[in-house]
Amino acid sequence: MPSPADAGDAWLFEAIGTAWRIDAARGLDDDDRSAVLARVERFDRDWSRFRDDSLVARIAAARDGGEWPLPNDAGPLLDLYERLHAATGGRVSPLVGASLERLGYDATYRLRPSGEPVPAPAWAETLDLERADAGAVRLRTRTGVLLDVGAAGKGYLVDLVGDLLAARGAVETVVDGSGDLRALGGAGIRVALENPANPTKAVGVVELRDAALAASSPSRRAWGEGLHHIIDAVTGRPVGGIIGTWVVAATALEADGLATALFVAEPAELEAAFDFTWVRMFSDGRLEASVRWEGELFR
Amino acid sequence: MTRSTRPAAAPLAGAAAAAALLTTLAGCATAADAGTDAAPEAPSGAEADTSAVYDDGTYSASGEYQSPNGGESIIVELTLEGDIVTDVTVQTNANNPTTERFQGLFAGGIAAEVVGKDIDTLNVTRVAGSSLTSGGFRDALEQIKADALAG
Repeated sequence: MPSPADAGDAWLFEAIGTAWRIDAARGLDDDDRSAVLARVERFDRDWSRFRDDSLVARIAAARDGGEWPLPNDAGPLLDLYERLHAATGGRVSPLVGASLERLGYDATYRLRPSGEPVPAPAWAETLDLERADAGAVRLRTRTGVLLDVGAAGKGYLVDLVGDLLAARGAVETVVDGSGDLRALGGAGIRVALENPANPTKAVGVVELRDAALAASSPSRRAWGEGLHHIIDAVTGRPVGGIIGTWVVAATALEADGLATALFVAEPAELEAAFDFTWVRMFSDGRLEASVRWEGELFR
Repeated sequence: MTRSTRPAAAPLAGAAAAAALLTTLAGCATAADAGTDAAPEAPSGAEADTSAVYDDGTYSASGEYQSPNGGESIIVELTLEGDIVTDVTVQTNANNPTTERFQGLFAGGIAAEVVGKDIDTLNVTRVAGSSLTSGGFRDALEQIKADALAG
């Protein structure tokens, strides 16, 4: 259990709709904190589907399409989406925004479906990305397109914050974006895997050293029978049967994206394309883990 | 239009009832697993009393209740080893298909809920679960539940 005592040196704050916690061996001064908050705000202003002044909102509102220079951080994020999209047969996609809105998960939290589920538009026909040599990405749209980077965006932001603090000289840093966590440094931390059906119980423990862990579950973002935020882009429907996934990978970007992908793809399909270890839990309580899983599991 | 008439937390509440049923049978009134009452939003079970110790073995209980379809019953069987639930079976005895379907959902839910060790007994510095939600989402969810009860 994280004790109150060890929260003493931690910095806790709320951002992008969830709770954050950062620990750094040398502590974080006011400049560090301002820099982190500014970085998080910039990411939110670019990528958030839940505010009307974001880049994503402007792209969606342009009914006749347009040409959009994307922020510098877009490259790695969209690269990962492209790999996940290929590995899952299109079931993970950054084009699920309209599907989620249909289910009621919109910027105003309507939380009521407005009709039958709608599949995400096809990537090839909708997302025209042009990559320049320096890594800059331009997006061309022909109609209003609602991007949603919920499958991997928060994990990516955890990486960006960790990298920012490392560049400022912080060492042995743990960035915990609630569900997505990156441990930078060799100290190692023990992390419990929370049972999605009962938050007082852990289904396992894993030790993280210079690696990232992402946990994904519909448990806290469900708003009705069979209605939650983890959806299959091909059908536009929430995915049933699996209630939790955990992934350990080199970066939180990959871990987060893969934790989502495990809901819609067989692990073997993903293992062919990515280097990671995983656990998944089914609604009947069964636990399944990768052959190389190094943590404990209680089953 | 599809509309939710059941709060998302219903399976947990059902499982808590089953846990209470088992507690009664075991003759131990100090609560089996206080954590089963935790709301899904609760960040952890830090305050839950998990001090009770139980003998290893298999416990079973049956329960009867009135559903909109008439009288129904279920039988729950738990196996305990070293204070950890290692197996759960829920035998459903539904008298009609609707009840059978809901009992099936409930049986799956209770099995998942009891898997694992109490987090406060583990020496860990972090807990990895689904992302905590914002106040906006929680408020909207409360409104949905209130509307469902009223409607």
